Amino acid sequence: MTDAWEPAVELDDVSGRVAIVGIGETAYTKASGRTARQIGAEAAERAIADAGLTPSDIDGLTYSGAFADFDVAAFHEHFGTTHEMWSSPWGGGMTWAGTAPYHAAQAIAAGNARHVLNVFPVAWATQRGSMTGGPGEVHASEGFKQSLEVPCGWFPQPVYFATIMRRHMIEFGTTEEQFGAIAVAARRHANLEPSAVMHGRPMSIDDYLGSAMLADPLRLFDSCLISDGGAAYVTTSVERARDLPHRPAVVAGVGEAWSPTRTHWSQQPDFTATPQVRSAPAAFAMAGLTPADVDVLALYDPFTVVALMQIEDMGFCPKGDGGSFVLGDTLHHDGGVLPLNTHGGLLSHAYVLGIAHVVELVKQLRGTASAQVPGPEVAVYGGYTGANASTLILRKG
Amino acid sequence: MAIKRADFPLPAVDDERLAPYFEAAARGALVIPRCGACDAWCWYPRERCPVCDGTSFSWTPVSGDGALFSWTVVRRAFLPAFADKVPFVTGLVALREDPAVRIVAWIVDVEPGALVAERAMRTVFRPLSFSTVPDRSVVVPMFTPA
Repeated sequence: MTDAWEPAVELDDVSGRVAIVGIGETAYTKASGRTARQIGAEAAERAIADAGLTPSDIDGLTYSGAFADFDVAAFHEHFGTTHEMWSSPWGGGMTWAGTAPYHAAQAIAAGNARHVLNVFPVAWATQRGSMTGGPGEVHASEGFKQSLEVPCGWFPQPVYFATIMRRHMIEFGTTEEQFGAIAVAARRHANLEPSAVMHGRPMSIDDYLGSAMLADPLRLFDSCLISDGGAAYVTTSVERARDLPHRPAVVAGVGEAWSPTRTHWSQQPDFTATPQVRSAPAAFAMAGLTPADVDVLALYDPFTVVALMQIEDMGFCPKGDGGSFVLGDTLHHDGGVLPLNTHGGLLSHAYVLGIAHVVELVKQLRGTASAQVPGPEVAVYGGYTGANASTLILRKG
Repeated sequence: MAIKRADFPLPAVDDERLAPYFEAAARGALVIPRCGACDAWCWYPRERCPVCDGTSFSWTPVSGDGALFSWTVVRRAFLPAFADKVPFVTGLVALREDPAVRIVAWIVDVEPGALVAERAMRTVFRPLSFSTVPDRSVVVPMFTPA
């Protein structure tokens, strides 16, 4: 059903032009009492320092237009700076954690910026009490969902993805244990990553199968956390990167594609797939690489099925074979053929909407990750919101 | 919370994009917008037909028959309004006239264990109410095995 998808967004070839040279993270926690703006400032500060730069060197900022908690005004307020900055709301987390380096590359090529910071903070654990259902509020506010779906109990995300899981099981014979393998692999990595919210809380497949059923066949342990935390990264030209302290993570390819029905999952023609069907091939083409070249993968994983579908749609295995593919040690950092979410992902590290995924990949390429894959050269992020997906391919510089 | 409507989570029957749908349901009919130019069923409502780019639609009755596409048994109340409804079955039914049109609906009068993919379903029209929205109900299409 690939004709069910819109073509990928047409992007200029930015392969090999820019690199991620600095990364910064806050603590990842349950409710911290902090605001997203405070969290964003801390992540920004650490990323800038890691890059060997000062705040006045940062002349470009990408942030989330949907959750604009750390914009140029917040930057200047925190750092006490006043300089001109190029900025774009097409950054932050989710899909845009993968495409922000593209916009940075374009701004750098146009001479609009030299060092571009991408920031994404979230304080949803702290805010949880005042929201209808955490991240569900965005969906409940949309008119068709509010009248045609929510009244039927088809809301929020656990219900959407339970229905998608069921259909994946119907079409491809995927089993509960196969979804569980993704959750268990994420927890295994989180137990090697001290900053992970679920560090120190091991999970076996029996623990997974015994976890609370939220909406059959979706269990609590198929679901991401709700967290406070944030991260940031600095992108600059590959030439400039040579002067900076860390080995750069070079942007080799970027892809972006949209679902024809946006976040109306109920009507998405290819119900058990994601826009990675279009985004990933575009990114691999830009990079001149194939899925077989990938050494470590980080996928936006709000639910196990979202990781499973992206593994299939990005070409790591044939469509429908994801369930058998992920069994065993496939996704493990130590010996797996496709190490996935080596920090623990949204499932077991923190729900910071993908920004920590990209930071983890940079660590992997530097060789400084907690669950380090041996000598990775190519690292890939798959971002997702339902409405769209992105693919970011990084190479060791 | 951003949703100010006092009768949430009942449908917004005065949303002009959907009013004909709920008016029809109230008299026991399921209607879907159909493109006046190419006869394509267009769901959800949109300004332009995705097949022919046409801009005129008429709300057209369908049989109400369909096939069960997917479903879930919701066990956790994600909104307070559903606290006295769990567990319940909600899912997607693909319409006979065009299986690409999926109706999100309560699946009623059936044990969840008896549900299988592609099972034939038919529409029933029932008043929907929530204990959190006193004295209000809206008739909506629900589905039950045919």
